[in-house]
Parts: sequence; structure tokens; C-alpha cells
Amino acid sequence: MATGSGALTSPSLRLGSIGRARRRPLILAGGGIVALFVALVLGVGLGTVAISPLDTVAILAHRLFGLDLGRTWTPAMDTIVWDLRLPRVLTSMVVGVGLAVSGATFQGLLRNPLADPYVLGTASGAALGAAIAVVIPIRVTFLGFGLIHALAFLGALAAVFTVYRLSRIGGLSPLTSLLLTGYAVGSLLAAGLAMAMYLSGAALRQIFSYLLGGFDTAAWSQLGAAATLVAVGSVLILLRARTLNGLLLGEEAAVHLGVNVGRERAILLGLASLVTAAAVAVSGLIGFVGLVVPHVVRLIVGPNARVVLPLSALGGAALLAFADLAARLLGEIPVGVVTAVIGAPFFLFLLRRSRSGYEL
Amino acid sequence: MIELRDIRVEYRRRAVVRDASLTIAAGERVALIGPNGAGKSTLLRVITGLIQPAAGQALLGGEPIDDLDRGTIARRLAVVPQQATLPFATRVEEVVALGRLPHEDPFRGARPADRAAVAAAIERVGVGHLLGRDARELSLGERQLVLLALAVAQSAPVLILDEPTVHLDLRHQVGTMDLLVDLNVRDGTTIVAVLHDLGLAARFFPRLVLLDAGVIVADGSPTDVLTPDRIREVFGVDPSLVHLPAPVR
Amino acid sequence: MAIPSARRARRQPKPHRTLATVLAGIAFALAACTSGAAPSSSAPAATSSPAALATPSPSPSPSAAPAFPTTLTDDEGTAVKLAAEPKKIVSLTPSATETLFALGVGDRVVGKVEDLSLYPPEAGAIPDVAKFGEVDVEQIVGFGTDLVIAGGNSFNPPDKIAQLRTLGVPVLVLYAPDIPTVFTDIELIGAAVGKAPEAKDLTTSMQAGFDQIQAATTGLPKPRVFYELDASQKIYTAADKSFLAAMIELAGGDPITTGSTTNFEIPLETLITKDPEIILLGDAAYGTTAEVVEGRPGWNVMTAVKAKAIKPVDDVVITRPGPRLVEGLRALAAAIHPDANLPSAAPTPPAAASAPASVAP
Repeated sequence: MATGSGALTSPSLRLGSIGRARRRPLILAGGGIVALFVALVLGVGLGTVAISPLDTVAILAHRLFGLDLGRTWTPAMDTIVWDLRLPRVLTSMVVGVGLAVSGATFQGLLRNPLADPYVLGTASGAALGAAIAVVIPIRVTFLGFGLIHALAFLGALAAVFTVYRLSRIGGLSPLTSLLLTGYAVGSLLAAGLAMAMYLSGAALRQIFSYLLGGFDTAAWSQLGAAATLVAVGSVLILLRARTLNGLLLGEEAAVHLGVNVGRERAILLGLASLVTAAAVAVSGLIGFVGLVVPHVVRLIVGPNARVVLPLSALGGAALLAFADLAARLLGEIPVGVVTAVIGAPFFLFLLRRSRSGYEL
Repeated sequence: MIELRDIRVEYRRRAVVRDASLTIAAGERVALIGPNGAGKSTLLRVITGLIQPAAGQALLGGEPIDDLDRGTIARRLAVVPQQATLPFATRVEEVVALGRLPHEDPFRGARPADRAAVAAAIERVGVGHLLGRDARELSLGERQLVLLALAVAQSAPVLILDEPTVHLDLRHQVGTMDLLVDLNVRDGTTIVAVLHDLGLAARFFPRLVLLDAGVIVADGSPTDVLTPDRIREVFGVDPSLVHLPAPVR
Repeated sequence: MAIPSARRARRQPKPHRTLATVLAGIAFALAACTSGAAPSSSAPAATSSPAALATPSPSPSPSAAPAFPTTLTDDEGTAVKLAAEPKKIVSLTPSATETLFALGVGDRVVGKVEDLSLYPPEAGAIPDVAKFGEVDVEQIVGFGTDLVIAGGNSFNPPDKIAQLRTLGVPVLVLYAPDIPTVFTDIELIGAAVGKAPEAKDLTTSMQAGFDQIQAATTGLPKPRVFYELDASQKIYTAADKSFLAAMIELAGGDPITTGSTTNFEIPLETLITKDPEIILLGDAAYGTTAEVVEGRPGWNVMTAVKAKAIKPVDDVVITRPGPRLVEGLRALAAAIHPDANLPSAAPTPPAAASAPASVAP
């Protein structure tokens, strides 16, 4: 075989072509970081109230480092920059990270390129939780979180947990079972949501605006909690990138490559769901990011999860930060609309120039 | 190296393998043969630890497989994966690189030694001309070779193959067999393969284990195992139809 | 083919609930730290109006206890603290806009909700900071707003109201499900802006107007009145015990209601059975006319249609819980009892004498 293969190049040259592919991730990462920085600057500097860039910088310098740059600004401007815009931009980034990372994880875990963070019922569970919170006449706030955030979070987790438990009954392969159960449970929850919306009366608009997703009520306290969950969850997922790689050729191959598939599947499911639930609780249901960003990243750097996960995080953060900025400047249109309008054509463009010229 | 003691495997309360005892020493080259449904693949899956026998014990390197974690098994046993659909576009070299998973640093991933092993495996199996291509676009035969390279990259002392020549043309079938012999003779890799082609088995494997209806009926050299009577009994064909070539080496 | 479970641990693999709880715990702890240190920052109210704290200047108005600082309870039961008399007011409901102008503080209103039936016209000069279902928090904060009057029952999004409060802006949430609350809301607004006496005058005269109109229609037969809110797809009218039903009763009519306190929809068959004697078109502004009604299939059996007792009314004054409610009641009474001897339309009392003269009437 070794002689008959027509191999012309030596192993070292092979190493070369394998090595060359490693530079692209770094370029992409650099681009992502620059994009994030630009999004942050624009997000904090622009808004319905005009604040001069110098004032913006001075406010941030004062708040972050205690520096006094000798400019004066009104308390209103201070509040706008520090309490409104900055948490909003950062929240959009955190949610972008969460959605992209969990999307990539679900795609790898379920071996399905059409998977997104909501595939196992998280969206329906969160929506139903939020709708219940709006409809029932209890109003509580805890650390800046309303009942709607708490029930959305719990609803998302409860939905996945239910799907996981139910999927283990029956003889179908685990992956197929998960996907089908996810679909069934999601439909059931959607019916519950429709009922809740019907009964909601005046509060319908609230449920609806949650469903469309948005960052307009972002606050530091919410950001702290969401960022912690997303960051910790994402790092823990990244540490398990090996599992996602191992699953590329199927569960049996993964077992043979040393992956404890049953346990890893449960852990990754739990982590990805936790991250999704945290994102969805603060921002509502924003679609498209979790599905498309990982694919765009893979088209450029290949399917190695060790590279795809962090780059998807960067890409998701940048995409959502810019999308929210655009949504804000276009008159507070729903962020989900912007992500779809930005993302879909760009994705199609990339597909045509993809690495192998064929599908995802 | 590999030891099976009185293995019994049941599927829906029916015994698909029974009283199977087998010892494979390090450095051996063994082919499991038999008609369809004889239990060859099942036995293989007991060896790799995928299936737990209802009775009996399976040992790898002297230790019961039950006691070993999958990472350890993966470093001792490399299994050529079955053909599977890839969910994403994956280059040939990325597929082969998966073979290094059991050896990779859990945090930093592939190291230069891993990349070298991948390159060497690609060279050894002879799929260098496929580098850079999406594995999903390859023909079944080409993909089979890539998967073989993956298992070679795994650098395990034991290589397990389940019908590795199924999708290959004649030249590649022989080439694969040559490669297995080479790995066995030069590197000392223990080879255990399920084969349906008696000719290939007889020529390239000094030891054949013949299964019929879940029982090991013969275990030895090709001439000892594939006697005309056996061929008639087990395979149900006229023995004159089967021409066994002389063994290699 | 089934993948066998883990080698050593034969336990059921399950999502790491403990991990989730630990993470959630860390998250909450972190949120607690950040919200504790969180800049509920320089509440604009506190620093932007320097000298207005506490000490009341000696004023000619007799026995005036210092009006500020004060704490008012809004219609949702929230205690709203006002450190000083608000100078930059934002009105997020059309009725609050009208009330503020009626109380003579229209010049202090820096932002309002978009109102397609704007009243008074002078309010047109005020920028819109909100539309139905949306509130521009940034703009409101940018003005240095020190009082926001918002609408309850989700008229304004509750999460925006909460956000404004978190940022230190006092928000008074008002919701009037019945007529007496309209009066208390006007007085609440008066107390909030330092025009309590004027507000009391206003409500007193409104109550007088109400009483007069009610007196004029007492003893008259009460026709069955169907008030059409909308009939483009389903038919919407007053719910039982609703604001609108109360108005119609006060105006001397017998309102046809939906049979439920929460549902505003009435099936056509039920309406036909109840057989209205008068149909009032609250959706006249959207183009509904008597001809349109007469043309609807099945409607011609109703007494009101046969007698051609279909009248357009100005829905805004009838249902807006503000200072012009008396006009609304008069309009209703006039439509229901055209021959009754109603008191002539008295002008809405101008802002009380102590108000600055520059306020438009």
C-alpha cells in the first residue's frame, strides 16, 4: 500500500499542510476581538441621546479607573452611559457567547448540523415559563431579576430535563430519541404557551416582546449572573471539546476512541442547556445566532471543537452586539429580526465559497 | 494479550455466542471467519468491550475489560470505525487526526508528536493523495482507507478490523492485506480481523478462527481449519468451489 | 445498536444537577455583589434640582404643610418617594398628559407618550418618548426626568417601569378601572406635582358635573345601549362592571355587557338576543357609520337598527380617564337621551387662580 499509493511527498511536507491550517483560527480570533472592541465602542457611544465621544470616554475613565479627565457631564449622561448602554452591550455579548457555544455543542453532540440551542425544547420551556410569570398575579423581584427571568430559566432547564428523561425510554438510538422527544415536548410546551397567551389579556404584549427577544432592560445585576453562568458553562464545555471531536464519526467510534459517551452526553447536555437557559432568561428568544455562527466558523477553520468553540463564542458575541446596536439605532426593532437579516445572506455567501464547495 | 473465557452473549434471551474461549497472544495475526450470522462481529465487540457478555470473561492485557476505563482500552486497542455520516465537512487529515484522541493532551489537544503520527499513518496507508479533500465526498473505498489510517494513527498494540475490505476493489483489498501484514511483521501490531473472503483470510492470516452459529468450531492454521468437510458443513457449499491460496510469509 | 453504559460507573448518567445548583449559587452571589455595589447611581432627581430640598419657603398660601419631600402610593401599591417638587415630568399616558395640562403644569412636561388624539393641542410641542408598548428609557433619563406618570395594567411595559425605578427615576403607576379612581388619580397627580389644591378643585367640579348630568337623566326610561368598541372581526363592547358600563349607566342607559368581567367580546347571537335600542359607535373615528352597521348581515333585526338609532360618539372623551370625562358623560347622555335637559357644557375649569398666568387654559 505504501508504495502503490502514488504518494509523492514526505511526511514533513504533510505536516506542513496540516500546520498551515492552524494559522487561520488565529486570524479569525484576532478579527473577532477587533469586532468586539468596535461593537463596544459604538454601543456605548451611540444612542437616542447624543453624548459626545469625549464625554463618553471621560465617564468610563471615571467609573472604571477613578480618573478625572477634567470634563463635566450631567448625572443623566453618566447614568445613560454606565447604567444603560454599557450593561446592554455587555449583555448582548454574553448572550451571543452563550447561544453560539451551546449551538455548537448541540450540533456536535447530536451530530446534526441543523441543531441550535433550542432544539431540545429550551425555547418552548423558557417561553412557557415567561408566559406563566406574566399571567400569574405575583410580582417579585430578586436582585434585579423578575419572576419572568426566573421562570424562563427554570422552564428552559425543566424542558431539557424532561426531554432527556423521556428520551431514554424506548429502543431508538439515543440521538434520534433525543431529537424526536425534543420535538414532541417542544410542541406540547408551545401549545401551553399559546393557551397562556390566549388567557393573558392585557399582558399579551409583554409575553410577545419576551418571545421576540431584546436587551433593552439589561442591567448590571442580570449581567453578573448571566455572565457567570455562561462563562463557567462555556469553559467547562470547552474542556470537553475532545468528546465533541470524538463524536464526529458516531457514538460507536467515539467509544472506541476512549470517550465515555453516555456520561459525556449527559454532562454536555446539562452544560449546554444551562448556558442556553441563562442566555434566554435575560434576553428572551433570539434565533439564528446559535445555528449559524458555529457553521460559519467551521467553514473557515474546520470542525475541531477546540477551535470552533472559542471562535464561535467570539463570533456570537460580536454578531449579537452589532445586531443589538443596529436594532437600537433602527428604532428598537426586535433583535431577532436583525440577526436573521444580517446572518442569512452572509451565511449563503459563505456557503458558495466554502472550503470544499459543497454543503455544510 | 486478548483472552476470552467461556463467553456467552445473549440477544433477546437467545444465545448468539456461546462457550467461546480464545486466546490471542501479542503479535499474532488472526482472522475470524464464518458464515453470516455466525457471531463473528459479536465476538469482536466483546473483545473491544462494546458488548458485555452474559457469562464468561474478557481480558485485555491480562486485565478484565470491565475494570478498564475507555481511555485505557483505546490506547491498547484501535478499532477501524464503521462507515458513518459526518455531520460537518471534515478533511481527510482531520478524520485521521481523530485517531490520536486517546493520546491527546486533554487541555492542549494535538501536539507535534500527534501530528507526526497522523502524517505517518496517512503515508503508511497511502491516502496522501486525498489530503485536503472533504471526507464526505470520497468513494466508499477511499473512505475505508481513511478510516484505516485513523486506526493506524491510534498507534495501539492491537488493531481490530471488522470486514475491512468490503468496499474495496481488488487492488486495494490486496494492498490492505499487505499493509496489515506489514504492520504485524514490522511493528509487532496484533491484528484481529473479521473477514468474509476466505481467500484473503487463508493467504494473509496464519491463524483462522472459524465460527458457526455462535460457536468456535475450529481454531488454527488455514489448512487445519478450512478442510473440505468443514467447508461443506459450515458454509454449505461444494468445497471444490473454494480455492485456497498458499499463505504468505 | 445500543452503546453500553460506562465501564466502571454503572450508575444512570444524569445531568449534573449539583453542578447546576452550584453554578446558579455562584451566579446569584455574583449578582448580589454587583447589585449591591451597583450604581443606582446619581439619581438624577437628587442632584439636578439643587435647592428644592425640604425647607419650604414662606409662602402666602395658608396652612400649607411643606408638600415635599413626600411619599405617595400609586395605584399598584408602590410607595414612590419624591424628594422635591418635580420640574421635569414625563407623561406616559394620554390621560396623564391632559391632567397635567389641566393642573397648569404643562410647561413642566418634558416628554410624553405618542397620542393620536392629542389634547390639549399645546402638548404637541412636547417630544414623544414613548409609544404604545415601547418606552425610550434613555431619552427619559437624558432629560433629567424627576417624575414619570405611567399607565398600569401593562399599558406601559412593566419591565421598563422597573428599569426606570432602578435608575432612580420616580414612577407613579396609575390605573383607573372605575370612575371614582379617575378622581383619586387626578388628585394623586396633583399631590405629586405640588398642585394638590388645584387638583381638588378640578375633581370637585367634575363631580358636580357628573351629579348634574345624572340628575338630568334620573327618572327617564333606560334604553338598552350597545356601545360598539370594534366590530371589524369579533364584536367588542363593555365588560360587566367595567368603566364603560358604569359611564353608560350614569348617562341613563342600560348597557349591554359581555356577561363576563374579563372578556370584552360578545357573540353576535347574544347581541341580537339582547336587542339593543341604541347603538353607539365608539369606533366612529375608524370609519364606522350607521350605513355600515345597517349593512351587516343579521344586524337588521335589532330595534336600534330598525329605529335608526345608531349614533357616532367620540370614544376618546368617553373612555379616557382624565379631566374631560365630564364631557364624555355629557356626550353619552346626549346620545342616549337627546331630549333630556342636560346642563350646558361648562368649560373645564381653568387652572386655579394661584397658577402662573402663562399656562394655556
